[in-house]
Amino acid sequence: MTTIPARLAKRAVAHTSLASARADVLALYRDFYRAAPEICDTYALDIPPSLVRTRYRQEFERNKHVTDLKVLDVLILKGRQEYQEVMNTWKMRAQLLGFIMAPIERQGQHPKGFLDSFYTGKDELAVLPMSP
Amino acid sequence: MAFRCMRLRPLLPARRAFSTSRAARSDALFVHRDTPYNNSKIPFEFDEANTKIAKEVVAHYPPQYKKAAVIPLLDLAQRQNKGWTSISVMNYVAKFLDMPPMRVYEVATFYTMFNREPIGKHFVQVCTTTPCMLCNAYDILSTVKEHLKIGVGETTPDGLFTLVEVECQGACSNAPMLVVGDDFYEDLTPESTKKILDAFKKGQKPKPGPQSGRHTSENSAGLTALTSKPYGPGEHCQPEFK
Amino acid sequence: MLRLGAKRALRSGAASRGFQTSSKRSADVTLTVDGKSVTVPQGTALIQACEAAGVTIPRFCYHDRLAIAGNCRMCLVEVARSPKPVASCAMPAMPGAQVFTNTPMVHEAREGVMEFLLANHPLDCPICDQGGECDLQDQSMRYGSDRTRFHEITGKRAVENKDFGPLVKTVMNRCIQCTRCVRFANEVAGVEELGTTGRGNDLQIGMYVEKVMDSELSGNVVDLCPVGALTSKPYAFHARPWELKDTESIDVMDAVGSNINVQSRGPKVMRVQPRTNEDVNEEWISDKTRYAYDGLQFQRLMTPLVRQGDRFIPASWEGALTAIRAGLTNSGAQGNSIKAIAGALADTESLVALKDWINNLGSDNTALDCAGGSEPPAATVDVRSNYLFNATIPALEQADAILLVGTNPRHEAAVMNSRIRKSYLHTGLEVGFIGERAETTYEYEYLGADLKAVDEFVKSKNGFAAKFKEAKKPMIVVGSALTEHPDGKAALKTLAKYVQANKGKMLTPEWNGFCVLQRHASRAAAYDIGFVPTASAAKATPSFVYLLSADDVDPKSIPESAFVVYQGSHGDLGAQIADVVLPGAAYTEKGMTWVNTEGRAQMGRAAVSIPGAAREDWKIIRALSEVCGEPLPYDDIVQLRDRMWEVSPTLVRYDSAEPTSVDVAQLGLAQMANALTPAKASGKPFEKPIKNFYMTDPISRASVTMAHCTKAFVKGEGYGLSKDETAAQASFA
Repeated sequence: MTTIPARLAKRAVAHTSLASARADVLALYRDFYRAAPEICDTYALDIPPSLVRTRYRQEFERNKHVTDLKVLDVLILKGRQEYQEVMNTWKMRAQLLGFIMAPIERQGQHPKGFLDSFYTGKDELAVLPMSP
Repeated sequence: MAFRCMRLRPLLPARRAFSTSRAARSDALFVHRDTPYNNSKIPFEFDEANTKIAKEVVAHYPPQYKKAAVIPLLDLAQRQNKGWTSISVMNYVAKFLDMPPMRVYEVATFYTMFNREPIGKHFVQVCTTTPCMLCNAYDILSTVKEHLKIGVGETTPDGLFTLVEVECQGACSNAPMLVVGDDFYEDLTPESTKKILDAFKKGQKPKPGPQSGRHTSENSAGLTALTSKPYGPGEHCQPEFK
Repeated sequence: MLRLGAKRALRSGAASRGFQTSSKRSADVTLTVDGKSVTVPQGTALIQACEAAGVTIPRFCYHDRLAIAGNCRMCLVEVARSPKPVASCAMPAMPGAQVFTNTPMVHEAREGVMEFLLANHPLDCPICDQGGECDLQDQSMRYGSDRTRFHEITGKRAVENKDFGPLVKTVMNRCIQCTRCVRFANEVAGVEELGTTGRGNDLQIGMYVEKVMDSELSGNVVDLCPVGALTSKPYAFHARPWELKDTESIDVMDAVGSNINVQSRGPKVMRVQPRTNEDVNEEWISDKTRYAYDGLQFQRLMTPLVRQGDRFIPASWEGALTAIRAGLTNSGAQGNSIKAIAGALADTESLVALKDWINNLGSDNTALDCAGGSEPPAATVDVRSNYLFNATIPALEQADAILLVGTNPRHEAAVMNSRIRKSYLHTGLEVGFIGERAETTYEYEYLGADLKAVDEFVKSKNGFAAKFKEAKKPMIVVGSALTEHPDGKAALKTLAKYVQANKGKMLTPEWNGFCVLQRHASRAAAYDIGFVPTASAAKATPSFVYLLSADDVDPKSIPESAFVVYQGSHGDLGAQIADVVLPGAAYTEKGMTWVNTEGRAQMGRAAVSIPGAAREDWKIIRALSEVCGEPLPYDDIVQLRDRMWEVSPTLVRYDSAEPTSVDVAQLGLAQMANALTPAKASGKPFEKPIKNFYMTDPISRASVTMAHCTKAFVKGEGYGLSKDETAAQASFA
């Protein structure tokens, strides 16, 4: 598949009112909602599209309290970029899967006490090899 | 020397044939390969006379610097060992002087007058450095080659002669010249060269020095200066001193 | 060419060693380098003065730890009022000299030198292992020409490759005859077989006769070689320097604690290089340190194993730890019948954790895996100076008489041995030797092999004993094997009394001449934390044995019925006799503390991740303590280091060797001098503890390279190019 860099690219918009920003957010949400089956298909994800939708909805809801227009501008732009990257298959499968599964993986993964973390091998205080 | 290394090396395997650069024409191979006639198991020791000389040589140096005697001792050992320095000779000298054998190898490989391969009875060294070359040293060289039927660096089948080309021996005023053993034969012509070689073949020893009738290195065209009788005492003096 | 002193020269004093002894000069000279004024001690080479002024001079042959050769001519600089450029390495700094390093004359001179060097240098950088870290490559970037004027029909000089054994690969075409390797071999390593043969363009580096380079330090010539003529054979064609990640760590193959740089790519250690530390290893490391790393890949324990019948079944950590708890309960082990044995590669943290746990279980039976390690040690460990190399390693160069007792430093601490050789060459050092004769790299006076020789040395008034008495800084180096010998206690008693009697020289605030040379990386730390059994504990029959990296333990010393746990990185001897095997981390995989033979605590660092399910050793013990009911009171490494500080502050005062005060050291000597010794000496000779230098611990025993070395150097079997030309061709093509 040829990659067209401009495919699905959107110009950054400086919103002047919350209403216009809201419209853009909803449009972005709708795009993600509709794209869920295609995402599962393109990336050969073995999960239902509903899970993808839920995950993206979580991301939207995480920022629902934002009212600052400037912040909203950036968030919308970032959302659009994410959409573009996902739809153009600019991401690796593992990347996307990691994003979708992250909160599920994280559940119940806080080792309690030394022994638990030892058994799970998830010791945050392990002396990690120095990074290059 | 270069010839020798070619002769002594095992035949090169065919797979190396793709290599296009020639083997370096060094004076000799600078590593030792064990051969039936040259390996460290062949014993060598100074004979009685040479032991005496060697001790005398070593005595010239302070005891902690006795390794300074390495060159004279190697020379002495080479003479005893039919003119060449085998690995056993080097090892013996090293032992004699209490120095690591490698230090002796370094010296023996550095100086070209240590032959690390056997030589014939008469070691013919033809000088081809510039002054000799200008006086037709190459004619002398080719004469020797043709007469002995060997190339440079080879030994006659009867083991009598080994021929090498050498650099300046310091006898330029009597060029061209060749050396047999320790003796210089100077002012050579192809004819006199043949005569010398034939004499050696017969087991005689021709008289060393200029072969042209000169005594030493005086002008071959006769005297051009100081031709008159030198004045004696009392000549050209003031009358009162006569 | 070098003409170094003969090893077997007549014993006629220092001068026979060939090096001139220069007295220390303290006067300073001031000169200007590129207009900048610098002051350096008199006698400093110009190149060092330039370095001091912050100017880097290109060089090939000059090396600040080797004799000056002055044959590469790359370090030419311009000196005012000198008609020609001057080789700055061979020129002493003169007062008032004006040096210029950046003039057209200098550049032209260096470019000329470089052109000659490159004339015969093969253009095989793409297949050369030195590529990326090659001095010639780097300097030709600046001084090399992009055109050649070399049009020799015969082609470039071709030189046969030499066979230096399984460690050093030679591509002699690339050699630029700097003779660094020759100088290193002769001065530092004591391999006087390496030299130069031939002359001029045909000069070659080699040994003339076919021989391998038999030295424990031979790997260092790979670092020294400024071009790709000498490269590492095991590392050949494996990686490029820019792919490697550097981790500064500490070596554990001997007790020197050499500073190393572990270079890894991904999960694999690719090579080990030395790191400069003047106080420990200068910039050399032994071949075992450098080349045993491939043992980290083989025989590794990756998952916990539980014995079922005659085989090991992989288990989960939970399963394994529970099995140990069951084993501990079922064995009925109580008090001192619970025994822990620590081996050579146990890190300090895990030793502290294990001792704490064993003590919590009510046992004082903490032992070591050496001979006699299950008994209270011959030299009591209450005082640090009884088991440490008190004079410190650099002091080996100050000592003017050294008595080696039951030790062969060449194999037990190869890097320290090079210091003795250095001192031997440059000063009038006298060495005496008691023990099994060994080939050292310096001359020694042989005094005997057993306890009798020690007694005679103390009583004797002539020979070496007299020289030792007269020495200003005498040093007695006691090998760790002596403390394991049945007569060790008696020998130590005699020596301790000797030191007491001569304390004016042997034991002053500046000089403690009684030194113990340990040979295992963990030993000094084990003694520091008191990882030795009490007299009563030693008598108990163990029914539960915990082996912490203990692979030299005698299997017969462990009762058949005992429940044995092995924890370590390699499946070596210790793992074979275990009921449960716990996989630990190797020294490149954990950031732990190591205490070297001087008592210098140094921090190793993790270079690669731990393979499989293996864990850091102290965590395993911590987890096990929790499973068994009494958790140790530390959850992370910081808390554990706090605990170490409580045990002994020296364990966490990194990079310094703290001296024992004279008064305390005297107490230690008194303990040794008053020790109860068997009435009758066994009279057995002191033996070399290390028969095969290349295989002393699980890592080096698992290493293929070390197996090659054993074959080539210890067994003396043919190896490499000369015997098998086909293989040589294949490896070189």
